Amino acid sequence: MRRIVAAIAGIAALSSLALAAEQVGTNRVINDFEEGSVSQQEGLASWQLFYEVASHPRCSNCHVGADNKPMWSGPSYGKTRPHGMNINAGESRIGAETLPCGTCHTDAGGMETVSNDTPHAAPRVAMVWQLAPVEAEWFGKSSVYICEQLKDPERNGGRTVRELAEHLDHDLILHWAWDPGGNREPAPHSLQESMDALMKWAAAGTPCPTE
Amino acid sequence: MKLTVNGQDHEVDVEEDMPLLWVLRDELGITGPKYGCGIAQCGACTVHVDGVAVRSCQLPVGAVEYEVTTIEGLGTPDALHAVQAAWVEHQVAQCGYCQSGQIMAAASFLETNDDPTDADIDVAMSANLCRCGTYPRIREAVKTAAKNLRSA
Repeated sequence: MRRIVAAIAGIAALSSLALAAEQVGTNRVINDFEEGSVSQQEGLASWQLFYEVASHPRCSNCHVGADNKPMWSGPSYGKTRPHGMNINAGESRIGAETLPCGTCHTDAGGMETVSNDTPHAAPRVAMVWQLAPVEAEWFGKSSVYICEQLKDPERNGGRTVRELAEHLDHDLILHWAWDPGGNREPAPHSLQESMDALMKWAAAGTPCPTE
Repeated sequence: MKLTVNGQDHEVDVEEDMPLLWVLRDELGITGPKYGCGIAQCGACTVHVDGVAVRSCQLPVGAVEYEVTTIEGLGTPDALHAVQAAWVEHQVAQCGYCQSGQIMAAASFLETNDDPTDADIDVAMSANLCRCGTYPRIREAVKTAAKNLRSA
């Protein structure tokens, strides 16, 4: 099923009319699609592609709810469970109240690259490690729920879909999701495909699945 | 590259991806921070960077932008830090291997929360492992240190 949906999304990428390509980050662009140029069916396929990304453990493990506890789930963890060591990122979502995420997920700012190849070591990027905002809860949530959430300015940081797509490329923790190192499974598709999927979903009128 | 540790400037000639712990122990001979696991799973290597607890085995030295403090620089034998004094009062250490990391973690934690509950302490300190199982004494010492810091 996943492959079929991905194939449909791939075909959609070729058939849709790309208006402009704007560079927003390293090797990635915002591709605009004319409103109405993407069918409802293509829009839903694009949403499905994005949902596969959002629901993948590399993304959802840190998009957790109000208990502020990151999750350990996915093929590299065996059974699903909360982050070991009694970790709680607090309302600050960066662990400021007790133990900063950055104590172990150190900020490698100032370095061009940082290796995350050691299995079981805390992954690091060149920014402060943190949970996503609580209103962006994804872990265990359905496609319908996340779809409605992403169009809701109250829960998406007051962003347009285009701003969401740009946001994807401005966060180094997100970049890490596709290059996680160690024995971790990367997020599916690619960052560029995820950004394109959001833009096509918007051009189709942000359709959401009904169940 | 330049590195300031416990108020002293150092010039070290190492690769930028060398973990800070290696630099401290092998290049500078500062052996208070201990090697336990090398993957931020045990906390024995905890030091402060700009006053915040960091696992020095996970921090590439090229990413260190602020002053480093190790257990050697937290207090002195004549003027112990409140956490060190509480550790002595409660006779926390058994084998002692994890204790410099425990003390550095507790000192950083109390900077942001000077009146912690038992639950706060358990969240803050659970990522520092003690194979001797001194956890009840660690918790009591953290509470004593918090009380003494508040009244200081």
